Amino acid sequence: MSRCVTEPRRGRAAHSVAFAMNPLTALVVIAALVAVATLIGVLGRVRSGRVRHASGKRLTAELLGLDAPLGASATIVQFSTVYCGPCRVAERILTPLASEPRGVRYADVDLGRRPQLAGRLGIVQTPTILLLDAAGRIASRIVGVPRAADVAARIEELTEEDHVVA
Amino acid sequence: MSSPETPTRSTKDQQGIDPRAPRFGAGITAALLLLTVFLGLAEGTAPVATVLLAALALLFLWGAAAGIRRHPWGVLYRTLIRPRLKPPAHREDPTPPTFAQGVGFVITALGVVLQLLGVPYAVVVGAALAFVAAFLNAVFGYCLGCQLYLVLVRTGIGGRGRAEA
Repeated sequence: MSRCVTEPRRGRAAHSVAFAMNPLTALVVIAALVAVATLIGVLGRVRSGRVRHASGKRLTAELLGLDAPLGASATIVQFSTVYCGPCRVAERILTPLASEPRGVRYADVDLGRRPQLAGRLGIVQTPTILLLDAAGRIASRIVGVPRAADVAARIEELTEEDHVVA
Repeated sequence: MSSPETPTRSTKDQQGIDPRAPRFGAGITAALLLLTVFLGLAEGTAPVATVLLAALALLFLWGAAAGIRRHPWGVLYRTLIRPRLKPPAHREDPTPPTFAQGVGFVITALGVVLQLLGVPYAVVVGAALAFVAAFLNAVFGYCLGCQLYLVLVRTGIGGRGRAEA
């Protein structure tokens, strides 16, 4: 009889033990969690803002929904959203690189207004920046906030290529 | 061509927030979320973890509804930390961090509700996910919650223009 009374209690105790850890194990788990988060952050920082060579797919001002033509020698196209803090930082870095006499233009595309572009261009993070050559082909792709010097160097290459062709 | 929206945005920047404020707040939140994960895992303290995560969910809701500037950590930053620092190099639009507070609320509230419905470790998982986001924000300045907006846009749930935001 007493067995019958204690059995459910024992069952419940076994259940709660299965879901609980001793404090030391719990400490190890949270240390691992901090390590994983740090790793994600470090990897993200290493990859973020790198100027990488890209597809060469040709874009037009109409396709991007721009109200002005692409730059004569190069275009910096930034894809942003309203809720993207780093996009404003990227904008501050990139806008001074535009230069009308050199035919380099900067354009900002709000993906909230043109969600279909995110799918078409495979954009999964903001800011994503595409550097287009004189013909509107995607020459480079940057995910994250870039360094001004890196973008300036790539733009220099693109404008030189344009002059060689011309 | 260099964005017709530039004028409105730069005035927004002038009355914007100190970008260090949300990161300071994320640091406090991250520490409390890590404590929640610990309490949720350790023997006998799971109910405390649920209560703590519920409290953190309410703080996220506060930040999302009242705006990041009126969040208690933001007030703490302005009164205690900011007077000891140099003025910020630039100011930021409060919209992205306020949106991220909403994302934090959804994740932590879901953890609490699922736990109360009997899903084991729901509080631990919810707190761990929110911790990673808050930690990345505090330490690396990366806003995971803000990136989620693009996911919503791509799946067709989001997609509002700047003017309506």
